[in-house]
Amino acid sequence: MGGTDAKDILGLPKTPLSLSHEKKSRPQKESHRKPDGISREVYALTGGVAPLMPSIDVTHLKRRPPPDEKVAWQWLPIKSSARKDDLQLYHWVRVVNGVPPTADYSFAKYNKSVDILKYTDDEYENHLTDPVWTKEETDQLFELCERFDLRFTVIADRFPLPRTVEELKDRYYSVTRALLRARAQSPADVANHPLMKEPYDITRDRERKRALSMVLSQSRHQEKKDAEILAEAKRITEMRLAARRAADLDVSGNENVGLDKADGGPGCSVSPSSNSQLPATAVAPSTLTMADYASTLASLRMLHVYLRTYGLEQMVQAASSAVGLRTIKRVEQTLQDLGVNLKPKVPTKTVCDEHLELRKEILTLLNLQKQLQYKESEGSSHREGTYAAMPDTPKDRVFASEPFSFGGISAERPIKKEPKRKGPGRQADTPSPAHKRPRKLKASDL
Amino acid sequence: MYGGDEVSAIVVDLGSHTCKAGYAGEDAPKAVFPSVVGAVDGVEAMDVDADSAKNNSNSEDSKTNESDKEKGKRKLYVGSQALNYRRDHMEILSPIKDGIVSDWDLVDNIWEHAFRGCLMIDPKEHPMLLAEPPLNTQQQREKAAELMFEKYKVPALFMAKNPVLTSFATGRATSLVVDCGGGSTTISPVHEGYVLQKAVVSAPIGGEFLTDCLLKSLESKGITIRPRYSFKRKEVRPGEFQVEDVGVPDTTESYKLFCQRMIVGDIKDSICRVPDTPYDDKSYANIPTTSYELPDGQTLEIGADRFKIPDVMFNPSIVQTIPGMEKYGDMIPTVRGLPHMVMESINKCDVDIRRELYSSILLAGGTSSMQQLKERLEKDLIEESPHSARVKVLASGNTTERRFSVWIGGSILASLGSFQQMWFSKSEYEEHGASYIQRKCP
Repeated sequence: MGGTDAKDILGLPKTPLSLSHEKKSRPQKESHRKPDGISREVYALTGGVAPLMPSIDVTHLKRRPPPDEKVAWQWLPIKSSARKDDLQLYHWVRVVNGVPPTADYSFAKYNKSVDILKYTDDEYENHLTDPVWTKEETDQLFELCERFDLRFTVIADRFPLPRTVEELKDRYYSVTRALLRARAQSPADVANHPLMKEPYDITRDRERKRALSMVLSQSRHQEKKDAEILAEAKRITEMRLAARRAADLDVSGNENVGLDKADGGPGCSVSPSSNSQLPATAVAPSTLTMADYASTLASLRMLHVYLRTYGLEQMVQAASSAVGLRTIKRVEQTLQDLGVNLKPKVPTKTVCDEHLELRKEILTLLNLQKQLQYKESEGSSHREGTYAAMPDTPKDRVFASEPFSFGGISAERPIKKEPKRKGPGRQADTPSPAHKRPRKLKASDL
Repeated sequence: MYGGDEVSAIVVDLGSHTCKAGYAGEDAPKAVFPSVVGAVDGVEAMDVDADSAKNNSNSEDSKTNESDKEKGKRKLYVGSQALNYRRDHMEILSPIKDGIVSDWDLVDNIWEHAFRGCLMIDPKEHPMLLAEPPLNTQQQREKAAELMFEKYKVPALFMAKNPVLTSFATGRATSLVVDCGGGSTTISPVHEGYVLQKAVVSAPIGGEFLTDCLLKSLESKGITIRPRYSFKRKEVRPGEFQVEDVGVPDTTESYKLFCQRMIVGDIKDSICRVPDTPYDDKSYANIPTTSYELPDGQTLEIGADRFKIPDVMFNPSIVQTIPGMEKYGDMIPTVRGLPHMVMESINKCDVDIRRELYSSILLAGGTSSMQQLKERLEKDLIEESPHSARVKVLASGNTTERRFSVWIGGSILASLGSFQQMWFSKSEYEEHGASYIQRKCP
């Protein structure tokens, strides 16, 4: 009704047609019968829809006791098996037809206690004597254990002598274990007892408690200060690193880069310092390697503490990321031929530094040789004209005359080309595909 | 009820400020009255001249004879109704000194008043649950058991420690209970339902101490608190009153102090607040004052004292700046503030349970309803405590519950079905003697 009035006021056209449609097409409203057992208003509170999972069986709600039962409540004494004396306490009991219930007091089943082994004096003499503990103390301990159901914190609190919780636990468990062993028919019987399978280790417990107390004894002030110091240190190292990186990239490859020892933050170890001397003829790869170095060093510094060999590996990887797999193999082969282990046996700082230097020198050497080869091939191509595409044995001879046992290296060279290694230093490698064939020949020659 | 089975036990909690008694199973005690006794010494009231003669003979008579005479003539008045009526020569005596009972006769009277006067029960029919302080001695417990069984002939008795009951009232078995009561503040850790006695820390600073501080502070400012009995207000003109002093020369000092304390206690309850930061004179010098009207019509303006007095709990050395409280000056250096006491208590406990204790610190007692106490304590503790421990201070929002939390815990405990096997019964008492209580009530 109100709707039509409003439309009238607003001057909107009524829509009688649609109304009749609505009347016709109004779906049959389901008759929501209220379920039995609860009143209509209560049911309406749930939104008029029954819950998916009824929590109470509806028939229980208005259940009345069957008419033949007469229920009365009487003030009767409690019969409990938990009490040994004759204390009479009274409580209200639901009595049906004048017959009081005869079952035991329903709470008597909660009167549980822990089984504690009791030892006789003989057993004590034979198995359980201990230099630190007297018999009286042990007796007292066992009595308290029984009273307090093995709550060792409370037992330690009530024990007349000042003993720590670990000592009490240790004594109790060792006595019980000894008793079990002594009383058992054979060792196999008791092997499955939980006490035998996992014996109490007092030193471990002490260590654990010491560590826990250290964790818990740092006050918030101290922690705040520690956190502040760490943040400060981090900021300083970041600043230094950024400055260094900027300095490195500006400069060309002609200088000594001395990276000093990192002194970032408390508790970090010193990252390997590398004073690498770059040869004067080093070309583009060197500066980029320096950049890689710097980033590797930065990442290492983040770790604060790391194994030197791990650090070395990182450096090596950084150094060789710009070159191809073949080159890496050649370097490794050179090292082996020189009698140097691929990974230094004794990775001290100086050893690692030298190793890295050696690797770098080998790399540079290889680079130079490649350069030389390239130039020679160019030169020979100019001279020989048509033979440019077939760089031939003369070059190999050139190589073979090198003091370094290149033959060995080339024999090792893997045939497959590493497609992924397309670093910026690639231009040094481009002559290498051309060398594939001569290398193979070489191997077969030798 | 799921765990409950009522046996109509009675729970009695005798504190240093108020005594609470009532039926177990209810949520508040029926009988709440101050735990002091007004004693009118019959000797003095009767004949003043005979005093000198008596005094002369006293030195020769045997002690027992004299005390019999005195006791016989002494009338004791218990209960707030009796105490509010001023009587000549009535001395106010408290049975509890430093947390333990010193005068069992007074305690007897208080119990008698609670049972027959307030609750109107016959103790023979009801098991009795008594609340006791955590550092109660064996001797005290035996005396209490003796008194209960011999005089009141209760069928069964149990003595539970206050912190344990508070802990049960909040549904926990392990917690650190900070009980700020009338006479003292006690901090006790409870582990699995047992008090760790070696880690209990106690300080004599309680609600009454704070009331005294406030009283002395007001007096030093020249304000006299007139007890209610000492004046009469006469309506001179409609709406205007004139105050007349009533001469009551025979009123004792202790009674006067008792009445003054009642008034000042009310001021403390309504106005005092715990400051958010430690109190210092400079920052609180310009605080706006609140007004409070005394019963005799005087209006007080209280400013800095509002915050100074409650801060005594956190910083006891402030007491020395209050004139009139110098006698406590020597005791104060050994007493530390509330957060420090809490840390001390926790650090005396075994390492394994410390974390649990930090996260369930319960506030109880009348003084703990002071405004902002919980927030200040939490803030101070979070600053001092280690980072890995989560500090949580819990307090019931309802001030009645905080005041009666010990009693409520007792009510819960005594009406549990599984508690019924733990009572110390009369037959056990007769068989084993009073010392058996040590075993039965750990």
